[in-house]
Amino acid sequence: MDIGNHSGATPRIGPFEVFFPSAGVSAHRRHHSEGEFPGCLFVVEGIDGSGKSTQLSLLHKWLEAKGYGVVFSTWNSSELVKDTTKLGKKKKMLTPATFSLIHATDFADRTERNIMPLLKAGAVVLCDRYVYTAFARDVARGMDRHWVRDLYGFAAKPTVGFYFRVPLETAISRLITGRDGFKFYEAGLDIGLSDDPTESFRLFQGRIVDEYEKMIPEFGLTVIDATLPVEVQQAQVRQIVQSHLDRARNLRVRP
Amino acid sequence: MRQTYGKMLPGMKLSDLAGKLIVLEGTDCAGRTTQINMLRPWLEQQGHAVLDTGMTRSVLAGDGIRRAKEGNSLGRVTQSLFYATDFIDRLENEMIPALRAGFIVLTDRYIYSLMARAIVRGMNPGWIRGIYSAALVPDAVFYLRLDVEQLIPRVIFSRGFDYWESGMDVFPGQDMYESFRSYQNALLAEFDKLSTEFNFETVDASADAKIVFAQLQAKVQRVLDGDLGRLKPAEAQTFSREYLHKVFEYAAAATMRRNPDPVLAQAHEAVLANQRWTPSPVAAHYSPQNGRSFFERK
Repeated sequence: MDIGNHSGATPRIGPFEVFFPSAGVSAHRRHHSEGEFPGCLFVVEGIDGSGKSTQLSLLHKWLEAKGYGVVFSTWNSSELVKDTTKLGKKKKMLTPATFSLIHATDFADRTERNIMPLLKAGAVVLCDRYVYTAFARDVARGMDRHWVRDLYGFAAKPTVGFYFRVPLETAISRLITGRDGFKFYEAGLDIGLSDDPTESFRLFQGRIVDEYEKMIPEFGLTVIDATLPVEVQQAQVRQIVQSHLDRARNLRVRP
Repeated sequence: MRQTYGKMLPGMKLSDLAGKLIVLEGTDCAGRTTQINMLRPWLEQQGHAVLDTGMTRSVLAGDGIRRAKEGNSLGRVTQSLFYATDFIDRLENEMIPALRAGFIVLTDRYIYSLMARAIVRGMNPGWIRGIYSAALVPDAVFYLRLDVEQLIPRVIFSRGFDYWESGMDVFPGQDMYESFRSYQNALLAEFDKLSTEFNFETVDASADAKIVFAQLQAKVQRVLDGDLGRLKPAEAQTFSREYLHKVFEYAAAATMRRNPDPVLAQAHEAVLANQRWTPSPVAAHYSPQNGRSFFERK
């Protein structure tokens, strides 16, 4: 008996349609259909050490200076859910399935509370990590590819999804100098690839990179070469963002 | 062999799940808890080890859900996924180890309630079903059915109308009574649909609790008789130490934080020390008639 086969692959349309129009909220409950949202959603993706957060913060400052109403949302930051995630991580009680679900719950809270309403209001929403992070990590942990994609069917489709591509070794050397050791789940120690945290991190991030690479054509991610100088990357990002800003409301948050 | 509803979670093994998974479903106030509190000692007297579980009793997400429901800002998608987290934590860390150790797992609600609640809140049925497609197919689902008209007096004279049970988040702008009627009617309609699809055995819950209990006893007995070769009474059974340990550990984490209990701790120690463990003395101590439950409700 298979109850999971109702949500087939539905074509994804429009910049602000949810990923899978059939998923999440039923059509008759949805007040906005394709492309109606006036806001813009830009997300950055990439492995740790790819420099994506630096790029997003530079973009944030630039947009603010231009007078756009900009809102910033980071992965795993819901006030409602983060205690539960913390408990699970601290006690190491998360399995690949509950790891996936608690992060989806966190993302759902941010989507319902912030991302969706703000896009409807015409803001520019910036997300440091988005559903692609979950697709990469959860599948690297052995979750079913389709199950995880369906799980996030309620998410708004980004205007542009930037993927900061960096060779694994470059990212790891950036990280190793910047901190002491890796955390349990971050290094994928829960799935037993290796007992050595650094080696486990390397193997786990390798899997994640493979998943990202597959998602570039699947979701039409915009690839930025993250080995280029910071300024060059930022110029590329701004140029692409600029071309999409017409629809966003210039909210003049500052006089 | 036991099956899931379509998907497998990483590391999930379905072989050797010798126990029985029995589900009690039904709307609020249909008497599920009352019945489980009677079924449990009855089964324990026959020598079966029983685990009872229910929504928001997970170590991982139980407290988080309760805290989130205290506010007024728990969104519908978030709510559905929070409950899914709670369910999967209990499935992987409580129900499956208990089934592997040979327990009878009595669960107060299962994925059907969770799906019905999500669908009534506007979630796409295909979406929510997909999430729960990793759930185990139970050995039986007993659906305690009650009409809204029969339900209302029970609610009023037990605990009164509650914000979430009245679906005030779904039907706002009405008073709690009107909202309760709309919400529970919508839930019942979903339950009735699920009932056909998932072969619920419907029990008329408007009858006296003793009559309902007698019906359930006969039905549960039939489930157990169907497979006596595999499901042995506890006295004749060697429990797998590893899985018993998991069951105890989860129970301890779920209950002991609030309510440290020496008897449960002793039983856990016996398992750790590789001594033979039979549920009967522990079960007697924790029988609801003693005012305690082995897997205590919060």
